[in-house]
Amino acid sequence: MISDGIEDEEKWLAAAIAGLQQNAFYMHRALDSNNLRDALKYSAQMLSELRTSRLSPHKYYELYMRAFDELRKLEMFFKEEARRGCSIIDLYELVQHAGNILPRLYLLCTVGSVYIKSKEAPAKDILKDLVEMCRGIQHPVRGLFLRSYLSQISRDKLPDIGSEYEGDADTVMDAVEFVLQNFTEMNKLWVRMQYQGPSREKERREKERSELRDLVGKNLHVLSQVEGVDLDMYRDTVLPRVLEQVVNCKDDLAQYYLMDCIIQVFPDEYHLQTLETLLGACPLLQPSVDIKTVLSRLMERLSNYAASSAEVLPEFLQVEAFAKLNNAIGKVIEAQVDMPIAGAVTLYSSLLTFTLHVHPDRLDYVDQILGACVKKLSGKGKLDDSKATKQIVALLSAPLEKYNDIETVLKLSNYPCAMEHLDNGTNKVMAGVIIESIMKNRTRISTADKVEALFELIKGLIKDLDVDLHDEVDEEDFKEEQNSVARLIQMLYNDDPEEMLKIVCTVRKHILAGGPKRLPFTVPPLIFNALKLVRRLQGQEENAAGKEGVATPKKIFQLLNQTIEALAIVPVPELSLRLYLECAEAANDSDLEPVAYEFFTQAYILYEEEISDSRAQVTAIHLIIGTLQRMHVFGVENRDTLTHKATGYSAKLLKKPDQCRAVYACSHLFWVDDNDNIKDGERVLLCLKRALRIANAAQQMATAARGSSKLVVLFIEILSKYLYFFEKGNSEITVAAIQGLIELITTEMQSDNMTSDPAADAFLASTLRYIQFQKQKGGAMGEKYEPIKA
Amino acid sequence: MASRRRMLLKVIILGDSGVGKTSLMNQYVNRKFSNQYKATIGADFLTKEVQFEDRLFTLQIWDTAGQERFQSLGVAFYRGADCCVLVYDVNVMKSFDNLNNWREEFLIQASPSDPENFPFVVLGNKIDVDSGNSRVVSEKKARAWCASKGNIPYFETSAKEGFNVDAAFQCIAKNALKNEPEEEL
Repeated sequence: MISDGIEDEEKWLAAAIAGLQQNAFYMHRALDSNNLRDALKYSAQMLSELRTSRLSPHKYYELYMRAFDELRKLEMFFKEEARRGCSIIDLYELVQHAGNILPRLYLLCTVGSVYIKSKEAPAKDILKDLVEMCRGIQHPVRGLFLRSYLSQISRDKLPDIGSEYEGDADTVMDAVEFVLQNFTEMNKLWVRMQYQGPSREKERREKERSELRDLVGKNLHVLSQVEGVDLDMYRDTVLPRVLEQVVNCKDDLAQYYLMDCIIQVFPDEYHLQTLETLLGACPLLQPSVDIKTVLSRLMERLSNYAASSAEVLPEFLQVEAFAKLNNAIGKVIEAQVDMPIAGAVTLYSSLLTFTLHVHPDRLDYVDQILGACVKKLSGKGKLDDSKATKQIVALLSAPLEKYNDIETVLKLSNYPCAMEHLDNGTNKVMAGVIIESIMKNRTRISTADKVEALFELIKGLIKDLDVDLHDEVDEEDFKEEQNSVARLIQMLYNDDPEEMLKIVCTVRKHILAGGPKRLPFTVPPLIFNALKLVRRLQGQEENAAGKEGVATPKKIFQLLNQTIEALAIVPVPELSLRLYLECAEAANDSDLEPVAYEFFTQAYILYEEEISDSRAQVTAIHLIIGTLQRMHVFGVENRDTLTHKATGYSAKLLKKPDQCRAVYACSHLFWVDDNDNIKDGERVLLCLKRALRIANAAQQMATAARGSSKLVVLFIEILSKYLYFFEKGNSEITVAAIQGLIELITTEMQSDNMTSDPAADAFLASTLRYIQFQKQKGGAMGEKYEPIKA
Repeated sequence: MASRRRMLLKVIILGDSGVGKTSLMNQYVNRKFSNQYKATIGADFLTKEVQFEDRLFTLQIWDTAGQERFQSLGVAFYRGADCCVLVYDVNVMKSFDNLNNWREEFLIQASPSDPENFPFVVLGNKIDVDSGNSRVVSEKKARAWCASKGNIPYFETSAKEGFNVDAAFQCIAKNALKNEPEEEL
C-alpha cells in the first residue's frame, strides 16, 4: 500500500510538472512576443498546478521550485514592462483578475515585488497588503509555500535600516511587523495541520509537518538578518512576540523546533541580555517538549561564545548568566518528573561546561552543579543506564581537563559522591583517567589529606569494591591498572618529612586492603618512596630521636618491615627478599646496625624457608652476597654470623658450577677495598681454594657422566679472582699459585677429554693478554706481575 | 526566450556550519559584515546585478543551512544551478575535509547533465582570523585538492575584511555563464 502511495505520488508529480512545463512554454512565447494578456493567462494556468493536495511536502517543494524559477522570468518581464511605461499599479490590479485564488496570489506577490522596487508606493503598504491577502489560502501546505514565496521575494525589499526602501513612511519597525505577521500566520497554518485529516494518518502527518518546519523557521532567520533589529528591538519586540506565538500555540513539535531556531539564529550577545525572558518561556512549554536538548544547545552556544574571546566574559558576569541558567535547569528538572536520569545529567554536564568556560575561578559553582546532580541521583545507587553513565563521566572529566590539576578537583566535595554512581567497570576507567591526568601534568600530591581524598576517589583500583561480584577481569587490564597505581604512588611527595611520613602511612593503609593480587604491584613503589624519605633524613637522627610524631628512619623502617611482611599472604618470597635487602642497605646508610641485621635475618629466613627453586636460590644468593659486601655498619660478630651463613648457603646450592661461582663470590665478603678492618687474606684464599675444589669435582662429575666437559671456564673465572686479589695486595695470593693455576688450565684445555670451547679459549687468551699488558705497563704493578709467565 | 533565461545566473553556496557562507553573500551583495554567528535556516537567496562583457546579468546567490537539521525540505533548490561555490574555513580542518562530501552531494542531488565539467569554485574563508596564525589548511593543500577535482578555481577570502570577495564572485559569475543551459523539454 505504502509503495503504491509513493508510486502514485511520483505519477502525480510528473503530471503536475508536465502541466507546468506546457504552460510555461506558452508563457515564454507570450513573454517573447510581449503579449501581456497571454503571459498572465498561461502563468496563471501554470501556477494552478500548485493547487494540488496530493503531494507530500518534499514533492510539493520540487514542483514549487520549478514554478518559482519560471516566475523569475515573469518578474523580469514585469520589470521590462514597467520600464516601457506600463503602469505598475495597473499591473497590480490586472493580475487580480486571475480566476483562481492561489495563482492570483502568486502573481500578486510577483508583481508586488516589482511594485516595491518601483517605489511608486511605500513598501510597507504593499507588504501589508500582500501579507493580508495571503490569508485567502488556508490550506496548510499551499498556504505555507505561498507565504514562503512572499517571504522570499520581499527578502531584499524590506524597509530595513540603510536599505533603499527605508524612508519617512517606512521604518524598520514596518519590516519587523511584516515578518512577524507572516511568521505568526505560517505558524498557525503549520500547527493547525495536525488536526486535519483522519487520526490514523497522524504519524504521516507529523512527519510531513516536520518536513515543513524550515518554512516557518526561515522567518526567524529573516528577522535575524534585518540590520535594524538591534538589541533593544530584539528585547522589546521581536523576542516577546515570537515567544508569545511559541508558547500560545501549545504544540510540542513547533515549540521544540522554534526554541531551537531562536537559539541558533540570533546572536549570542542578544541571548545573554535576554536570558531571563528566554529561560522564562521554558516552564511554559508543553511537558512533552524536550527542553533539556534546547537548554543544552543554548549552553553549548554560550560556552563557545565565552571560549571565543576573554573580552566577552564581563557580559556573562554582568547578566549573572550562571545563576539564571542554574535556576532554569533546576526548575525544568523539578517540573519534568519523568525526565530520564541521563537527561538531567546531560543538563548538568552542559551547565558545568558553561561554568568552566565562563567562571573558571568559581570552584564553588562547579561543586554546586555536582551537588545538584548528586542530589538528583540520590537513592539510585550505581547506574546501569549507559547513557547516564557516559554523561557522568563527561561531568567528572570536564573539571580535570579544565584545571589540569587534581588538587583543585579534590576540593570539590561532591566529586567523589558523583563518582559513586558509576558502575564498577566505569568507576575504574574514571579512576584511570584521574591518574592519567596526574601523570600528564606531573602533579605532586603533597599532603596526607589530599592523598586520603585521592585514594578514596580511586578506590576502585585500590581494592575489590564488591566481594560478591566475580567480574572476569582481563589479566592485562589488571596489570595495566595496577602499574598506573604504582606510578601514582611514586608521584606523592612533600618536602616536609613529617607530612611525607603521614603520606606513606596513608598509602600503606589503603594498599594493604588491596588483597594478594594487588600487593606485589603496590608495595614496591611504597617501599622505594619511603626509602627516599629515609635517605633525606640521614644524619638528622640524633636531634629528633625519641620525640612523638617525628619522622625518624627507625620508625619508617619498622613500618616498612611490617609492610613487606604483608606480602607473605601472596606469597612472593623472591620479591620480599629483594625488598628486605634494599631496606637493609638503607639501614646501613643510616647507621642502624640492629635494623640492618633484622632485615638480613628476614631475608635469610625467606631464603631458607620459602625459596626452594634452585634458579631462584642462585639469584637470591648473589643478591645477598652483593648486598652484604656493601654493608659497613656491622660489628665483627654480626658480620661473621651473616657471612658464615652466606658461604654456607653458597656451598649448598644444587648444581656444582653454581656452588663454585657463589663460593668464589663469597671471597669478596672478606676483603672490602675501602675498609681496612675487612681484609682477611687467608679467608679469601680459603674461599678461592674451595671454589677450585668444587670446580675440580664438577669437572670430574661431568666427564664421568657425559665423557666430556666444558667446565674449564670455571677455572678461568677463578683465575680472574686470583689476579684481582693479587693486585689488591693480598699477600696470601702468590705468584706460584697463579702460575700453577695457569698451567692447570692450559693442561686441561689440551687434554683429550676436552671438547674445544671457543668461548673458553677466548676468555683465557684475553686473561693472558691482560697479564702481558700489566707486565708491560711497568711501575709497581709491572714489577708485581713480572715473575708470572704467561 | 533564450536570452531572458541567460540573464539569470543561479549560484549555490555550500559548506559546513559556521564557515561564513552567509557572511560572504552579505559582503558581496550588501557590503556588510557582522561578527555575530547566526545560523541559516533552509535556503535563502539574494540577487545582484553584474556587468559582464557589456551585458547585464542577475546573479541569484543561494545561501544554505550548514546544519543538517535546518534543511528539512531537502535540496530541490539545487535544480538549475549554474555554478556551485564550496566554502570552508581555513582554520577548521574538518570543514576542508567535508568539501568532498558537499561536492558529491551536490552532483548527486542536482544531477547536472555534464557532471565532469560542472563549474565549482572553492573559497577558503576567514584568512583574517588571528592574522593567519590559527590556520590549519595550507593554501598549497587546498589548491592540490582543487587541482585533483578538475582544476576548480580557488580563492582565499575574508568576508570580514572584504578581501578577494569581489574577485571570487567575478570568477563565479564567469564560470556560471560558461555553463551550458540545460535543455528544457
